[in-house]
Amino acid sequence: MEVFLPIAQVFVNPIEILFLSAIVGILSGLFGVGGGFLMTPFLIFLGVPPAYAVANEANNILATSVSGSTTHYLKNTLDYKMGLMIVIGGVIGTSLGIYTFTYFRGIGKIDTVISLAYMYILAIIGTLMLVESLGEIDKAKKNLLIKKKLHVHYWIHGLPFRMRFPKSKLYESAFTPIIIGLLVGFIAAIMGIGGAFILVPAMIYIIKMPTKLVPGTSLFVTIFVSVVVTFLHSFNYGSIDLMLVFMLVIGSIIGVQVGQKIGEKIDSSGLRALLAVLLLVVGIAIAYDSFFAEEIQKETAVVLSTDLNFFSLFIKQFSEEMPFFYGLFSIMFAIFLGVAAAFIRRFVSNFKKKILLKS
Amino acid sequence: MLPSNVKILNKLQSLKSTFIKTSIFLSLAAYWGVILVGTFITFN
Repeated sequence: MEVFLPIAQVFVNPIEILFLSAIVGILSGLFGVGGGFLMTPFLIFLGVPPAYAVANEANNILATSVSGSTTHYLKNTLDYKMGLMIVIGGVIGTSLGIYTFTYFRGIGKIDTVISLAYMYILAIIGTLMLVESLGEIDKAKKNLLIKKKLHVHYWIHGLPFRMRFPKSKLYESAFTPIIIGLLVGFIAAIMGIGGAFILVPAMIYIIKMPTKLVPGTSLFVTIFVSVVVTFLHSFNYGSIDLMLVFMLVIGSIIGVQVGQKIGEKIDSSGLRALLAVLLLVVGIAIAYDSFFAEEIQKETAVVLSTDLNFFSLFIKQFSEEMPFFYGLFSIMFAIFLGVAAAFIRRFVSNFKKKILLKS
Repeated sequence: MLPSNVKILNKLQSLKSTFIKTSIFLSLAAYWGVILVGTFITFN
């Protein structure tokens, strides 16, 4: 069974998309990583053109980050002031990223740039994660306890315009979060990822935020960055395909909930090495695809407008005739799905508690 | 167990650990080699 994506102009198997996004969602919930850097390559392997994979994954990230952020808002584990500072840098970085994206698209090299960027980012994260997790396993075996310094100061801490962040109990330069946001926004715009793998370590080790505030604030920042990325991709290139986004969001939201539940029951630190190996394998698969695989002329799906069903035709016409409102609609659609998922989760959890209390 | 046997077992354990570490290091080096050489060839 295959479904035609009216915007990306390719046929995909919805079961494959749902299954893969659920698997990536489980990994996200289990290891606390975003998952965008795995799902976009998977979409490319499934035949979705890289430029479309990036844009649609950004919209999916918006839904999952809204869902996660709402949960943290309900738990009051969010530093808005720090988040907004990072967002300022993030918006500038995203605009620069879209400008770079436009340049490479203009010279016809965008697919190569996206593939190379993914290959290197997966190789770097995979290597670092593997080395760190093996080190931890080794340390645990030897039962070593290494005493670390309480505070390490980098050049970034000497920057001017220091301000107070009461929630995080910090007195920090405003430039620190802005620079970090700039970097995250730039990468998010080119690669269609949330950037949590940069943001989370930077918040812990460079900004030195309390760990309990980090996941919520990181998701809060991701909302704004992915809104800008989604809107700019949709408005400039009309590359958001609501049918693909819907499948991605449903799969990943269910997967994240399952992953978080599994994570509560098992110790995932030993599995981190396996995730690192998975990242390295995906990285080398992209390398093979980019360097060594023979150039295969992909068949362009020629589907006449009259052959499209009502929804596909509606999406196609909406995207072509009203790109501004289509961009806004795709953002609202993702936000609605994300908030709905968070409230359903809360409802289910309260319902379970009530049943447990009764029994 | 005799002290000499314990020493041999410890030595074997340490050799195994060194072997695993060297294999991981070599695999990662080969991995990065493929990526870097591939990039170099593509851009030439």
